[in-house]
Amino acid sequence: MANNNRRTVTVRIQRFNPDADAKPHMQEYQVELVQGMTVLDALHEIKTHQDGGVTFRRSCRHAICGSCAMNINGRNTLACKTPLKNEIDKHGRVTIRPLPYLPIIKDLVVDRTTFWEEYLRVKPWLIPPDDIPEKEFRMSPEEVHALNNAETCIMCGACYSSCAVIGLNKKYIGPHALLKAFMRVLDPRDAAPAERLAEVSGADGVYRCHTIFNCIDACPKGLNPTQAIETLRKLAQKRQKYEQARRERQKHLNEPIP
Amino acid sequence: MTNSDAITHDVIIVGAGLAGSWAAMIAAEQGVRDVAVLSKLHPLRSHSGAAQGGIAAALNNVRPVAGTGPRGPLEQIPEGEEPVDSPELHMFDTIKGSDWLGDQDAIEILVNDAIDVIYQYEHMGCVFSRTPDGRIAQRRFGGHSAPRANFAADWTGHVLLHTIHEQALKHGVKFYSEWYVMDVIIEDNIVRGVVAINILTGEVHLLRAKAVMFATGGYGRAFKITSNAFANTGDGVAIAYDAGAPLMDMEFVQFHPTGLYRHGILMSEACRGEGGYLLNKDGERFMEKYAPDKMELAPRDLVSRSEQREIDEGRGVMEDGQAIWLDLRHLGREKIMERLPQVRELAIDFAGVDPIEEPVPIQPTAHYSMGGIPTDNNGQVIADAQGTPIVGFYAAGEVACVSVHGANRLGTNSLLEASVFGRRAGYAIAEFIKNGAKLHPVTGDPAERNRRMIQEMLDNPGKELVEDIAQELKATMTANCGIFRDDEKLKRALKDVRELQERFKHARVMDKSRRFNTDLLAALETKHLLTFSEVIVTGALNRTESRGAHARTDYPKRDDENWLKHTLARKGEDGRPELSYKDVTIFWDRFPPQERKY
Repeated sequence: MANNNRRTVTVRIQRFNPDADAKPHMQEYQVELVQGMTVLDALHEIKTHQDGGVTFRRSCRHAICGSCAMNINGRNTLACKTPLKNEIDKHGRVTIRPLPYLPIIKDLVVDRTTFWEEYLRVKPWLIPPDDIPEKEFRMSPEEVHALNNAETCIMCGACYSSCAVIGLNKKYIGPHALLKAFMRVLDPRDAAPAERLAEVSGADGVYRCHTIFNCIDACPKGLNPTQAIETLRKLAQKRQKYEQARRERQKHLNEPIP
Repeated sequence: MTNSDAITHDVIIVGAGLAGSWAAMIAAEQGVRDVAVLSKLHPLRSHSGAAQGGIAAALNNVRPVAGTGPRGPLEQIPEGEEPVDSPELHMFDTIKGSDWLGDQDAIEILVNDAIDVIYQYEHMGCVFSRTPDGRIAQRRFGGHSAPRANFAADWTGHVLLHTIHEQALKHGVKFYSEWYVMDVIIEDNIVRGVVAINILTGEVHLLRAKAVMFATGGYGRAFKITSNAFANTGDGVAIAYDAGAPLMDMEFVQFHPTGLYRHGILMSEACRGEGGYLLNKDGERFMEKYAPDKMELAPRDLVSRSEQREIDEGRGVMEDGQAIWLDLRHLGREKIMERLPQVRELAIDFAGVDPIEEPVPIQPTAHYSMGGIPTDNNGQVIADAQGTPIVGFYAAGEVACVSVHGANRLGTNSLLEASVFGRRAGYAIAEFIKNGAKLHPVTGDPAERNRRMIQEMLDNPGKELVEDIAQELKATMTANCGIFRDDEKLKRALKDVRELQERFKHARVMDKSRRFNTDLLAALETKHLLTFSEVIVTGALNRTESRGAHARTDYPKRDDENWLKHTLARKGEDGRPELSYKDVTIFWDRFPPQERKY
């Protein structure tokens, strides 16, 4: 954690203001590498002391808000949890670009409209059964555990913007929204898994996934959208039976897990 | 732009964390059709999502295993067996935690509504951790005398935030993402609307509404080491104060005992709730000296002071001696992986330390703002000690001061407060609208006034960097208005803040463009920091006692005779805070003030 071993390193940032620039260009900055510094720290240092025009989103700075997803040395990730030194050691410098496949608003800020539209499309909210208990629905620790892969998703968009299918077809629901759909489909409290499975197995859904696994590589939370998509595919093939099983399960949602 | 071409809504809510989203969802559910939420971030980026350890409610799902003592294992309470917890006990713990500055009528509402709110979250699809028989899992937390922190691993705030946002969407709430509110229009004690920048275009708009609610979060960014997000710049308190609303108890700022060394990032209190130790450089569990009963699970103000004392007396760790060890190793891999997975990842990513193998260096970090915009128990903002309402103006969550936390908040009570009082504000707003609330006219052209102010900032050729001013402010607030305060330090802080306010007049915004100008936003945010910091310091300087998080070394005792009262600060005609005071609501027969020992 000491501030010794200081050295100056090069940070290249893709700049683009559509109001002023014909096309994006790269701009180089020098920052002093302090031990423990993240890529977000470097961006912040550049913005506050060298060039206030450099524009990016950020908030929590500890990988929970999902604001600062960007492309760092060719990989989509969160700037706040990427150690600057690692990137320098590996690549000699840091090159930062906005998330690919999305319109650029300014510099590293992208327009996520399609990303949020797809999120809405899968109806991210729970569709509860009619019979609501006085206290909580009973869920086993195992049933909860099965959702962990999806419930910790921070909707940063790193997966979406690394997905080759999205690159070609913005109508694809996308790994983030499919992961959300997976979470609802698997939740024993959700009363509409068949309807959800019908939606996600349509023309823009799970069969579009080419299992290239880019989303897994990109996910800064270590989640596995591909596996969720695989699960949805399997369940979609027997969705009436799955719905039937869900109705059975929901008869006991108000009872202690044995 | 004139009045007539302003954007209008029935209800405008500023801030999309738990409090704002609850209010929006409830108002919409109650039949208010035109509810809009403005947030300077996308709603899912709100800082509620960063809360980790839990949300309090006396659900009575678990109890300590008999005969294992206060730190022993927990088990689910078998069906039909005696409860160990109650709202009454939760109420007492909260009052004691608040060092008797919390209003007891509000606290009673908090603990009673708590149970229903948690079940509602669960029914809306929130994914909680579970007991073996399928109930919501609970853990211990500091200052709570029963295990009542309901949790989802250590990402509780995250799942609550996503759940409530989904519900607001389901109910047709309109979200304005990345709109920055810079002014609230209040005339004749009636709210009229807000002025906001559409960050994308840089355009400034007047938005008129029958009701305006602030749910903009806290003000921890005024300090150097903080767990708060970049966004937590106290915009709401500063804007309300500038518009003539009072602020209450601003001097009470909570320092959380376990911020990651140098980063300030939160290592959840759940670390200690699950049994983690705090050690000084001699490997001593020093809390034995300060809170022999509760040890590491004493309330946050006490633990942070104890840590600071160890550090100040030379028993800190790391090269500069400014840290303490948080030791989780004895919990074992399995428990850490199941209960504290996010904390482990944060320690690895940001400190290069795996808590399974090594202790984690931590230090106190500015975490929570107990003070804020005073409201009644339904989120209605009040203008004075008598409770005169500012008609149509509501606030809830960290920006508000109801006050349930008084001089020190207990862990897991903030997610609860944002939810309970956000929900109540939602009902109150719906009622207000349904009872025929009107759109009131706006005098003059406030959008143009704000546009001119922005233009002046953009045109300012000054030599000062905004960031330098912000950093100097944080340095003086931390050194002189931090965990330990005294008259001399506070006077220095006040002098510094005022000098920095002057220097800010020569601050230069580097980015002159309209589109997505976050450099300009940082300048506006820094202006807000400077505004409310003066109120914090003034309140702290006047309050010649120690209570909760406000610890004065020159007045080390709580002084109920003179200071069992809330501070109200209002912007005076000279632009300086004018202080007055407001009684604390105390149920003298039930919870009279007593000595606060743990």
